[in-house]
Amino acid sequence: MTNLRFWLRWSWRDLRERWLQVAAIALIIALGTGTYAGLGSSMPWREQSYDTSYAQLNMYDMRVLFTNGSYVNGEELIAAVESIEHAGWIEAAEPRLIAPTLVDVSDGEDVLVPGRIMGVTISEDRSAVNGIHINAGRSLTAEDSGQPRAILEYNFAAYYDLPPQGTILISGGQALDYVGQGMTPEYFMVISDEIGFKEESDFAVVMLPLETAQTLTDHPEQVNDLVLTLADEADWETVRAEVEAAIAAHFRGTGVSFMHTEDDPAYTMLYGDLEGDDQIFKLIAYLFLAGAAFGTFNLSSRIVEAQRRQIGVGMALGLPRRLLAFRPLLVGAQIALLGVVFGVLIGVLISNLFGGMMRDLMPMPVFETPFQWGIFAQAAVLGIGLPLAATFYPVWRAVRVQPIDAIKTGHLIAKGGGLTSLLARVPLPGKSFTQMPLRNLLRAPRRTLLTLLGVAMAITTQIAMIGMLDTFNEVIDQGEQEFMQDSPDRMIVALNNFYPVNAEPVLAVEQAGPVAEAVPAIQLGGELLRGNDSVEISLELLDLDNPLWTPNLLEGRLESDGPGIIIAEKAADDLGVGVGDTITLKHPRREGMFAYHMVESEIEVIAIHANPLRYLSYMSRDQAGLMGLENMVNVLYLNPADGSTATDVKRVLFAQPGIASVREVGMFIRIFRDMMSLLVGFMSVVVIAVLALAFLIAFNSTSINVDERAREIATLFAFGVPVRTVTRMTMVENLITGILGTLIGIGLGLLSLQWMLDSRIETMLPDLSLSVVLSPLALALAILLGVVVVTLTPLLNLRKLTRMNLPSTLRVVE
Amino acid sequence: MIHLENISKRYQVGDVSVSALDNVSLTVEKGEFVVVLGPSGSGKTTMLNVIGALDVPTEGQVYINGDRLPLVSKQTDRFKFRRETVSFIFQSFNLFPSLTALENVQLVLDMADAPDAREKAIEVLNDVGLGERINHFPHELSGGEQQRVAIARALATGNPVLLADEPTGELDFRTGVQILDLLRRQAEAGKTVLVVTHNREISRVADRVVELSSGHIISDGAPRGGKVSIAELSW
Ligand SMILES: Nc1ncnc2c1ncn2[C@@H]1O[C@H](COP(=O)(O)OP(=O)(O)OP(=O)(O)O)[C@@H](O)[C@H]1O
Ligand SMILES: [Mg+2]
Repeated sequence: MTNLRFWLRWSWRDLRERWLQVAAIALIIALGTGTYAGLGSSMPWREQSYDTSYAQLNMYDMRVLFTNGSYVNGEELIAAVESIEHAGWIEAAEPRLIAPTLVDVSDGEDVLVPGRIMGVTISEDRSAVNGIHINAGRSLTAEDSGQPRAILEYNFAAYYDLPPQGTILISGGQALDYVGQGMTPEYFMVISDEIGFKEESDFAVVMLPLETAQTLTDHPEQVNDLVLTLADEADWETVRAEVEAAIAAHFRGTGVSFMHTEDDPAYTMLYGDLEGDDQIFKLIAYLFLAGAAFGTFNLSSRIVEAQRRQIGVGMALGLPRRLLAFRPLLVGAQIALLGVVFGVLIGVLISNLFGGMMRDLMPMPVFETPFQWGIFAQAAVLGIGLPLAATFYPVWRAVRVQPIDAIKTGHLIAKGGGLTSLLARVPLPGKSFTQMPLRNLLRAPRRTLLTLLGVAMAITTQIAMIGMLDTFNEVIDQGEQEFMQDSPDRMIVALNNFYPVNAEPVLAVEQAGPVAEAVPAIQLGGELLRGNDSVEISLELLDLDNPLWTPNLLEGRLESDGPGIIIAEKAADDLGVGVGDTITLKHPRREGMFAYHMVESEIEVIAIHANPLRYLSYMSRDQAGLMGLENMVNVLYLNPADGSTATDVKRVLFAQPGIASVREVGMFIRIFRDMMSLLVGFMSVVVIAVLALAFLIAFNSTSINVDERAREIATLFAFGVPVRTVTRMTMVENLITGILGTLIGIGLGLLSLQWMLDSRIETMLPDLSLSVVLSPLALALAILLGVVVVTLTPLLNLRKLTRMNLPSTLRVVE
Repeated sequence: MIHLENISKRYQVGDVSVSALDNVSLTVEKGEFVVVLGPSGSGKTTMLNVIGALDVPTEGQVYINGDRLPLVSKQTDRFKFRRETVSFIFQSFNLFPSLTALENVQLVLDMADAPDAREKAIEVLNDVGLGERINHFPHELSGGEQQRVAIARALATGNPVLLADEPTGELDFRTGVQILDLLRRQAEAGKTVLVVTHNREISRVADRVVELSSGHIISDGAPRGGKVSIAELSW
């Protein structure tokens, strides 16, 4: 490299001549690496934010739940726990009082939702278990103890855009002043027990001083929940055993159950999502990189091939090969450099977009977004490696050609070559110039293929992303249809315990003014077993001839002679059973007033219902005897009376004792839809990037085609062939590439989608029966992107065509 | 047929102004076979391009059939003119590599929406002696054969003016002579033919030789030493 400056100047001229194409390749690389870095960054951001948030608020290591209806004295409980052998392992222990309630925050708009009050110890120091992060307003202080003051859970407050401070009503018409809004680890994602995710629109948690909670629930001094943080060296099982023994000794006959951090639904959901999202994000990033790789390879090899004759001349002049390879490789390096610079910019942009979206959609007390050097370094290595590899191969090919071949006039360009000869003697229909586009494509099959695959990758990404939304939407639609049926205004009233059908709370619901008709039912948790397979279910026992709602069936019948169960299609598939088969149902059986035992019963599958949710199962209420629950009720379905609204019903039932929650069935669907809107946000960013990628690949490929065929085009012009005819021919070429690329992309997209459903969704959301669905809109978008945009890009070259310098283009030999 | 009036063409490259044509006037009648002769860089190609509306002069007017060429601004008119009036034959052939000989010729007929394009193309290819090779791609033909395809393509347009820039430049003697003969016969058939060359020997077969030097016409008339038949040429 005797004269580096000379070579740099030369390659600078190469670059300037093709700056638009070089910039476009660099942008393609940047989109690939930027998406990679941007998506990649959001993962560690989330993980780090979760870790810090949980650590800062001292998420419990152990939670002790008292069986429904059991209360113990708070101070005695602490004393009992502190008396265990390994009390030293316990860092902090906090007794709590948790009770279901209804929360009314109506202020102009009706907001009346179920929720829970959570009495917590007020302490100023940060060591409290499951502390509260204040998002707005102020925190609770010792002076608030015993006063009707509370902190409102932030996710709920934010959903309804509530002011930082205000007044709410809870069950029994009790007014509470909330002095602030805050987040606590158990509700980083709001999950009641019923639905399983993102319930902030329909579940309000009210945190208040323990003493206040005790007064409100009429359980002075008492608690029913305990959370502990343990020292690092603590053995969880040992502590559990000792605490269990201590509680048994101190509070005879009180049942308790224990939870790990990992048993916390929000915790599992957030971290589980992280893992699943990581897989999906990686898939997207790799698809992007693949598209970018095809694009880059295609384009840089064309730039090199355009220099082939010059390389041949150099070889004839006796220049060493490595020197000849230097110039095109320099172009590759320049593309790489530009690509990395753009890539970092796009990466920062995308990661910030995602970061901002996550901050809005999944708020955390601490949201950390440090620059991810490692991931950006990976992206940069890819960004540099890609174009270098893409130039290296064609350069290597070029310098291996015999000089004599390389110098031959238009060695590559003037040849028919490729698959054209195959078509030579096959007469194609139509006029000669209508065949030219096809001929041109076949002339360079490798290039055509690379362009095609680049477009295909973009479409694949788009189809996979939007297809996922479509698939989810389809399930939601199915679920909605099934839940709603003919009574879309149906409401579900959950009682706080089992009551006889003629008990006061049941009658109160049935006879309430705004209630037209009410149907009693029983809801229980259970499990279906068969062989080694099991499916957790929510079992509902209802009158199968009730006028309000019964499940639609895909198969089987509602009536049965003996005990029979109606299960979801997915449950049947997962367990390998069909109508008429017998399975084992593990369910609670009541023995005595508050005691339940899990027992197993053999039961026949009498039908398959149409709801895509796997956990939904139904039985006739006649069989409640199986559970020891004859004539008992814990849930009522109802329709509002004519002229009454859901809020009227809620407001009336709100005042009744024994009622845990009152919800509209439509709410279930709303929660699913809220979940979807989160996905839609992420996807839209990806879709825009995909659009840009497909466009750039098409644009670049077209623009290089025009350069490559400049002389042919000039010849056409010399014969008076109008610009529009030439443009039309290029458009037909692109149309063919676009259609093929789109078809391949749709195919690969559906495969990727299936892969995502199988690998990730199946483990993340085993309760959803999903099958790949693609909406007409997704297809239309794919066609718009892959066919229409790609076909129209030649119009962008119109200027280049009309300004072509005919005399010099025709004169030069190459 | 063709009338150039005070044509000048100047190029500005940086500070240097190059004058390719300087105040050139020329009239060519229908059916004439004119050879434009001159050393390299004398402006021959430029003149041909101006006549063919591939290039626009800096000054002056071009009249074809008495009509002034609407050269300066309207690109579509220049396209129309090239489609209907002139046909080019290039030194490096400029055939479409992905089309066969037949298709290269058929293309211009299809563009003009001519009926029976295929039959007509075969006929013209037969005329230039390539009847056997119509389904060959350019890279399967020799240079002379390629040039004949190019001539067939130009003839197929049926346009009255043929403009050939160094049509024999890449060919050997015998082939060059055949090509020249082919072109001269077109003039005899009524076309106006302008052939550019820097080869004085070739110019001897023309009715009329226009000699250029540094953008000026320095002579115009019968070939020096008198016109000879093609058979008498020695290269
Ligand atoms: N695009 C251009 N920019 C600058 N100068 C040009 C350009 N095109 C042609 N010229 C100059 O105009 C003059 C005439 O060029 P032209 O191509 O007409 O010559 P020519 O007689 O055809 O030569 P040759 O026999 O070598 O083909 C030359 O001096 C050339 O350098
Ligand atoms: Mg010339």
